[in-house]
Amino acid sequence: MGTFLFITILELARKRRFREELSIVWLLTGLGLILSSFADLIIDPLAFKLGLSYPPALVFMITFFLFVLVILYFSVAVSDLKSRNKELSQKIALMEYKLGTLYKEEE
Amino acid sequence: MKSYLIIIPAYNEEGDIASVIGDVKDSNPGADILVVNDGSTDSTSGIARKTGVMVLDIPFNIGYGGAVQTGFRFAAERRYDFVITVDGDAQHDPYSAQNLIDAMEREQADVVIGSRFIEGTYRMGIMRKIGVRLFSMIARLYTGTNFTDPTSGFQLLNKRVFSHLSKDDNYPLDYPDVNIIMALHKMRVKVVEAPVTMKEKPRGKSMHAGLRPVIYIVRMFLAIIMVLVRKED
Repeated sequence: MGTFLFITILELARKRRFREELSIVWLLTGLGLILSSFADLIIDPLAFKLGLSYPPALVFMITFFLFVLVILYFSVAVSDLKSRNKELSQKIALMEYKLGTLYKEEE
Repeated sequence: MKSYLIIIPAYNEEGDIASVIGDVKDSNPGADILVVNDGSTDSTSGIARKTGVMVLDIPFNIGYGGAVQTGFRFAAERRYDFVITVDGDAQHDPYSAQNLIDAMEREQADVVIGSRFIEGTYRMGIMRKIGVRLFSMIARLYTGTNFTDPTSGFQLLNKRVFSHLSKDDNYPLDYPDVNIIMALHKMRVKVVEAPVTMKEKPRGKSMHAGLRPVIYIVRMFLAIIMVLVRKED
């Protein structure tokens, strides 16, 4: 699943359907999922070190944390876009009015 | 002579906009009138244009606060001395605008909010009533002044205030109510109330109908917290 996500994001970024800075968040998530498949090497020792007797719980915890980060990142991006959208729409309305007035003066 | 701009934010108000403009023209003959069409999908803009007033067309709906702020920007660019905001749904009686002007001169205020509760009665839903009472209390606790109608959109603002609110995110997109009173108080702006007449909404759906008052109260609380935690500009 991690490899699939990783390749898909790389492909989308390559075709310019995904901006690089946005794809980084998803690539990190994909990488996290890939690493989680090497349970014997990383997850199991780490889980036991953290005192978790059931190692998959650590995978769920990391995945959950990564997805929360992704959602937070996109919420910030949406808020930012909304502000810019407002600014643009207000400027368009004001400039259209000015343009209309100029056309009327020319006539 | 002092110049006044009356801003009428309107979203899908084709049924009322002509009568609102007519009343505003008759009641305030010396003022310029600007309709801010907030991405209406009906013929609000066309009807407003036919009356001969200035019309700004926002390409899509950005919300009440965004539309009012567009009007503030227009007023700031054209150096008006004062702006009066009147809703496009025929709820506000523009003949009361003189009360706002008189109160500003008398009290040497920067902003005057038109209150429907100082004189006369106004029927509203129970949730809306609770909201108004609650926010009145919060405004009184924070500013030390009694605001009977902090959710009123019928306001008079001087140049210093509307120029500030016209910038960036100084004016909220959706509900500019008690949070704005608090933010202005933080800026040491003098805000007072004056009696105005408001009519029951003749048609269409109020932005405070149905479940919306509950969502409105929650969002307003969040906005109030933001005013409290944000640094002064």
